[in-house]
Amino acid sequence: MHLSVKFAVKIKQHILFATKLTLAGGALYVAYDSGLLGNGKEGSVALGRAKDAFPPAVEEWMKYFGFQLPATPKIEFSPLDAWNSGVQKSFHALSVAPSTASDYTKQGLQYVKDLTK
Amino acid sequence: MSEKELGQKWDRCLADSAIKFGTGLGLGIVFSVVFFKRRTWPIVFGTGLGLGMAYSNCQNDLKSHYVLHSKVAKEQ
Repeated sequence: MHLSVKFAVKIKQHILFATKLTLAGGALYVAYDSGLLGNGKEGSVALGRAKDAFPPAVEEWMKYFGFQLPATPKIEFSPLDAWNSGVQKSFHALSVAPSTASDYTKQGLQYVKDLTK
Repeated sequence: MSEKELGQKWDRCLADSAIKFGTGLGLGIVFSVVFFKRRTWPIVFGTGLGLGMAYSNCQNDLKSHYVLHSKVAKEQ
C-alpha cells in the first residue's frame, strides 16, 4: 500500500480514538461536576435538581413535538400512611388477642352449658 | 440519633442510591458503546460500581453519628 494511504489510515484511527476519548472523558467529567459521584448529600441534592428540572423539560419537549400528554391522574394513596396504619392495626390486634380469645372461650363455654341445661 | 435524623439519613441514602445507579448505568452504556463494541459487561460493571459507591456512602452516613470527629485547630 502507498505510504501516504497508510499514513492517512493511521491518522484517521488516531482521530477516531481521540474523539472516543473526548466523548467518554466528557461524560465522566459532566457526571463528576454535577455532583453525581460525590457523597450522599450531593447525591440527594442532584436528585432534587433533576426532579425540579423534569416538568419544564417535559413541557418544552411537548411544545417542540406539538402534542399534549394526558394529565397524570392524581393518586391519593400514600404507601407510608398505609404501612403505618397496617403496623398499628396488627399490633393492636396482637395486644387484645389474649383478652378477646378468653372472652370468646367464655361465651363458647356458656353456650355449651346452656345447651346441656 | 433521633428518629427524625435517622429517617432523613435513610431518605438521603435512597436518593443517593438512585442517582448512583443511574449514573453508573449511564456511564457504563457510554463506555460500552464508545470503547467496548456494545458488550454487556461494561454496563454491568458500571452499575455495580454505582451501587457499591452508594452502599459505601450510606454506610459512612449512618456510622457518622457514632464516629468521633476530631477537629485540629490550625496554628496561625
